[in-house]
Amino acid sequence: MPPHVHPEGTTLRDPSKLFYQLDFNRRLIIASYWVVIIAAIPLWWHFTSIERLSLPTSQVHSQAANQLRFPVQIQLENIQDASLPASLQQLLDDRIQRSPQAWKGLDVRVRNQNDANKPGDLFTVTANDNIPLASQRDLMYPIRPGTLSMLADALSILLVPPTDTHRVAQYSPRYRLAFTLLNEDAAAGKSISGWDISGAISRHLSPILNGLSVLHNFTIESQVQFHAPLAFSPLSLPDGYGITPEDLTVFVNSAEWSLSSSVSNDPVLHFVIFIPSASRRPLQILDSRGSPSPSSAFLLPQWGGIIIYNPPPEQESHAPLPQSALNSIFSTFATQLLALLGVPNLPPDVQTDAPVLTGWQLDALLRRRALENAEGAQDTLKSIVKLVDQIENMPVGQDVKGDVQDSLTALDQMYAYSSTSLNSTLHQSADALTLASRAFFNPGMLALLYFPAEHKYAVYTPLFASAMIPMIATAVREIRAWRKQRREAASAAAQ
Amino acid sequence: MLVVSFPHLLLFLFSWTWGILATTPSHEEIVGEFFNQNAHAGSSTSNHTNNWAVLVCSSRYWFNYRHMANALGMYRTVKRLGIPDSNIILMLADDAACNSRNRFPGSVYANPGRGLDLYGDNIEVDYRGYEVTVENFIRVLTGRMEPSVPRSKRLLTDARSNIFVYMTGHGGNEFLKFQDNEEISAFDIADAFEQMWQKKRYNEILFMIDTCQANTMYSKFYSPNILATGSAKLDQNSYSYENDNDIGVSVIDRFTHYILEYMEQINKTSHESMADLFASYDPAKIHSDPGVRADLFGRPLNEVRITDFFGGVSQVEVGNGGDGEARASPSGTTEEENSSSEERPAVAVNASQAQQKVAPPSRPAKWRMTRAWGGVLLLGVLVGWVGFKR
Repeated sequence: MPPHVHPEGTTLRDPSKLFYQLDFNRRLIIASYWVVIIAAIPLWWHFTSIERLSLPTSQVHSQAANQLRFPVQIQLENIQDASLPASLQQLLDDRIQRSPQAWKGLDVRVRNQNDANKPGDLFTVTANDNIPLASQRDLMYPIRPGTLSMLADALSILLVPPTDTHRVAQYSPRYRLAFTLLNEDAAAGKSISGWDISGAISRHLSPILNGLSVLHNFTIESQVQFHAPLAFSPLSLPDGYGITPEDLTVFVNSAEWSLSSSVSNDPVLHFVIFIPSASRRPLQILDSRGSPSPSSAFLLPQWGGIIIYNPPPEQESHAPLPQSALNSIFSTFATQLLALLGVPNLPPDVQTDAPVLTGWQLDALLRRRALENAEGAQDTLKSIVKLVDQIENMPVGQDVKGDVQDSLTALDQMYAYSSTSLNSTLHQSADALTLASRAFFNPGMLALLYFPAEHKYAVYTPLFASAMIPMIATAVREIRAWRKQRREAASAAAQ
Repeated sequence: MLVVSFPHLLLFLFSWTWGILATTPSHEEIVGEFFNQNAHAGSSTSNHTNNWAVLVCSSRYWFNYRHMANALGMYRTVKRLGIPDSNIILMLADDAACNSRNRFPGSVYANPGRGLDLYGDNIEVDYRGYEVTVENFIRVLTGRMEPSVPRSKRLLTDARSNIFVYMTGHGGNEFLKFQDNEEISAFDIADAFEQMWQKKRYNEILFMIDTCQANTMYSKFYSPNILATGSAKLDQNSYSYENDNDIGVSVIDRFTHYILEYMEQINKTSHESMADLFASYDPAKIHSDPGVRADLFGRPLNEVRITDFFGGVSQVEVGNGGDGEARASPSGTTEEENSSSEERPAVAVNASQAQQKVAPPSRPAKWRMTRAWGGVLLLGVLVGWVGFKR
């Protein structure tokens, strides 16, 4: 029997006449693949692209070029010679020219008697032959042609006090003050069991903290510890023990003392009273020549202050810190706090009758902090723009854009306030800095990871090339066949 | 017809792939720009007022015991030299000490004879286990955290902070693996450091890395004031130092071991400089060529104290905090003998630095590019051929 015989009357069908091999159907199928791919491209683009909203770049750059300026007016009163204001102005201008960096942002004008009211902070200098005395925004000073140069020097220190940027803590709207009483070793006896901390704070620190409340918000915490060993052994002296300058730099035994809680992210200023162990008293600070220094306090820049307190030998065991010691210790803490917060000193020859701070000092501090903040905000905004430009896969979301815009608005308002209200200027500058930093530290702005080009080829090529090349090949073949058909049809029609 | 359309087809395919996939930023340009900017020399004493350390062990599992020991060894050293726990960010898988295979539960040893338990009694691991990720590491550096993240997990540095960044794990050319499921590239770290610099989040950085081909990891840095050192150059492995037969695995890597050994003679007030540390590197002992990169760093290395990065604060003002007090600085009296005795090692380091200079991306990079394109071309030809074959 033959293997396979078609029944009578049937013929082989031409494959090209099968319905699923019809040119039209085949082309429809191929085209539908392409339609899906092309239609999916926008979707794919949308889901794989990084959201990068445009930032107000030109605004940031124009804002960064701005410079905060504070007009300051000085009024001379009770003077005999009408030419004195002009010569004082001349002397101040000389000083401004000599160190423009220190006087940055300050427009100082000495008022003539007939000057109308101009905007700006008004300071008054009254002629008086007693000792120089600064009170709120006034200064009593012997004003004579001969003392004018000294007055100009005093005014420079009052208006633009020299500052130690190394020591002063960086500006923050909130600080935590951590007070710690450390007994090196209470077990050795004669330890200090406690202290009247709230009384001491309200007596010595509250006036300062209230005076500075326009600048900072303070949170206070305190603790007493009974075992706080040193990480080194003090030098033994004939009359007690000494700490060399070298050991002083590593005095804080951070591995074993826990000096502050970590409840918040605010910067902490530490204030420590260290009570040496009974077997190591008196403990003194030595200077570089090895002789005991009269001071028992020292300051770690931007960190805080430490006082070594040696209880008197007649001290009974386990008693609280005596009131007299507490007073002297806290007045030192107060000085250290002022130094750490950058409150300027008065000129050496000028006395004061103000309880805490004079208006001169507070204003100088406000001006400096506002300038710092404004500069910080401008720098941060510039870096955001620069980094977004530089790192191409860094996302920029709506909240970042909003914060940048708000920060720019705060800067604008700061300039508007700069001639009228110093407090508002500082607040706006602090807001601008906070907002700019928040934009910079936005958790969403994490740049996606960088992958080398080879990695991308290695991942995508096996996936896409094997699928795409046959599809392109069929499409090309199909187009060629179609064009051939058309040519043949055309030539057939021509014949 | 076919001959003409085939190259066209490939061309189309390649331009399409290129357009979509190639988003490489031109890092070389940025690098060049920053090298030029940073030509000025900085001051010789450090300006920092606080020290921070970020210690990363990017491996997990028992067989990577040595990487955890590396990180814990560094942790012990920086803590001993005065960086408080609050200023140390330790990222550690932390599955060695309490691993069921550990014959000495609760302990991690890195030395023959198991003399020193690195796990000790006071370890604060800030990022543990699966929290050790590339993303978290970049977030720690750049400070881009959710508001809810606690203080202990944050790097709260400012413009006066010196930061010591130590990394260890398994790596390769320009990458470091994190826990076998992702990797960080040299570009990621370089970009993170640049973002820190832009936000004034550091004064100086010491970057130290112990992994295979470690020196490639710092080759992409372009921000100023970064001093970098690594354990092995391109195409070199970094080897382990000690096999403990009781523990059953290698307990520490050579590079880290010799650094820690050197550090043991340093105390909080030591005057040794970074140049001394780098001069102590011995390729014969380490079994690979450690590298140093100082071209971004502003100060001469023989004036940079080891304690500038590994220690606590450096300056103290005695008195009541008013004006005009003498500033006690540990330099002072011994400065002179220092500078004379440190001259020699400095020269040695400079020489080794010259060897370690980052190779310009000329020939090897081009060759890699050609190879990559060749591969794509070959694949395209093969698939195209199959597609056209009737």
